[in-house]
Amino acid sequence: MDDRLLQVSHLSKSFGHNVVLRDIDFSIRPGDVTSIIGASGSGKSTLLRCVNMLEIPSSGRILFHDRDVMARGFNIPAYRAKVGMVFQSFNLFSNMTVLENCVIGQRKVLGRDRASAGKTAREYLDKVGMSPFINARPRQISGGQKQRAAIARALAMEPEVLLFDEPTSALDPQMVGEVLDVMKTLVAEGLTMLVVTHEMAFARDVSSHTVFMKDGIICEEGPPKQIFGSPEKQETKDFLARFFRS
Amino acid sequence: MDRLAQLGSDIVKLWGNYGPTYLNGMWSTIWLAVVCTFIGCLIGFLCGVLQTIPCEKNDHIVKRFFIGLLRLVIRIYVEVFRGTPMILQAVFVYFGLPYFTKDAIRFTSPILAALVVVSINTGAYMAETVRGGILSVDPGQTEGAKAIGMRHFQTMLSVILPQALRSIMPQIGNNLIINIKDTSVMFIISYTEFFAVHRGVSGATYMYFPSAAIEMAGYLLMTLSCSVLLRWMEKKMDGADSYDLATTDTLAHTSGTLNFRKRRALSAARHKAVPRDAGKPDRGRDERGR
Repeated sequence: MDDRLLQVSHLSKSFGHNVVLRDIDFSIRPGDVTSIIGASGSGKSTLLRCVNMLEIPSSGRILFHDRDVMARGFNIPAYRAKVGMVFQSFNLFSNMTVLENCVIGQRKVLGRDRASAGKTAREYLDKVGMSPFINARPRQISGGQKQRAAIARALAMEPEVLLFDEPTSALDPQMVGEVLDVMKTLVAEGLTMLVVTHEMAFARDVSSHTVFMKDGIICEEGPPKQIFGSPEKQETKDFLARFFRS
Repeated sequence: MDRLAQLGSDIVKLWGNYGPTYLNGMWSTIWLAVVCTFIGCLIGFLCGVLQTIPCEKNDHIVKRFFIGLLRLVIRIYVEVFRGTPMILQAVFVYFGLPYFTKDAIRFTSPILAALVVVSINTGAYMAETVRGGILSVDPGQTEGAKAIGMRHFQTMLSVILPQALRSIMPQIGNNLIINIKDTSVMFIISYTEFFAVHRGVSGATYMYFPSAAIEMAGYLLMTLSCSVLLRWMEKKMDGADSYDLATTDTLAHTSGTLNFRKRRALSAARHKAVPRDAGKPDRGRDERGR
């Protein structure tokens, strides 16, 4: 039995004539923290969105526990419930309070009753330090608080893997810190994560595997020590040099 | 000046004789408009949700066919009922149906026919309004819902429609007010609403202009009350500007918006309950000092 949680093979995605992803191969084992780095427009976010089928891949395969996600008749909503996603723009439901945001998915998708859903939601909101703000609406709290609430919403579904799509890119430096702290706690607890990020320090110090993407292909991948310490490809060197010069 | 005085006395005379008749007419108008706007909204929401069912290229051919058919049917409904006068729709429903079906289908009362015609007509407008409302909601909201595994109808009911409803409230108000005025064409199927009363009264008394003045005031009264009511509902929907911090630890009150009115009441109660010289938390002393 293969222990791979998620396996992406020969994945390609094009929008019209514009090829965004070409022949992507990678896999995730339970407990992995994979970071995807690369310049803007290299296809990182599209890859992440393909993984939970927010974008339909043009070709290739995505296997979740050895089951083909793209097969006809595959229950995509049920799959998405097990593969959480945190967005750059938070996407909290603006007609609900923070607590309701974390409850609605459990109630509608997992069919939990009000009491247990509320209890789970409070637990995770506490974990991300948002318990004082459970009655607030998204428009009333700061960006960092929104993102932490969004992480709690994803966690409340108790997913097997959590996808982060540039979770700190819309935040100021102080808020970036509070969100990264939450993410580090989750790593320490052994959550499987796939993180698209521009936070090089996070990728280098926290992740267990780093993927460098350029122009829609995986240019180089390996342990962060290798990617950041002794990259083999010239493109990787150039990219990292630009980042660490400043 | 004496014209105005004459008009005034005529109005008083008319109202004295026909006051209850006018009021009955107003009631017929207002309930028809309100009920039909409500049913029209339901039809509109239904059409809006059905129209936005996602249809992907790799969906099954049968599903794609039915979704396409559904969209076509809704499109035809909207175009036909939006594109023809309500007065003729009423004629077709009330007189046309029994004529073409040899009395197999017919409305026994003009009330029911009016209800159906105005509702369906409003629904056609609302279908487009709701579609616009749904489109105006940030696509990120749909993605957020999809990402936690919610299905189309769940997403619509819990996330998108509440937000769409808020943004189309002014348009619903428009429709209600238009309905209050436009239900007057239902006289064609002998539904006696407010305007039909005017036709009756002015025909009987030959006091055409005073009766029209009463009508004007009556319609304005109805539309204004609806406007005020709808504004109030919009405010209700927006909810409070502040929220309560969910904690009992006063030291945690370092950020976020507090509900000051509540807090003032709370601290006032605390001041009453505790003797002045008793030990108080810093916060209490602070507020007293200011």
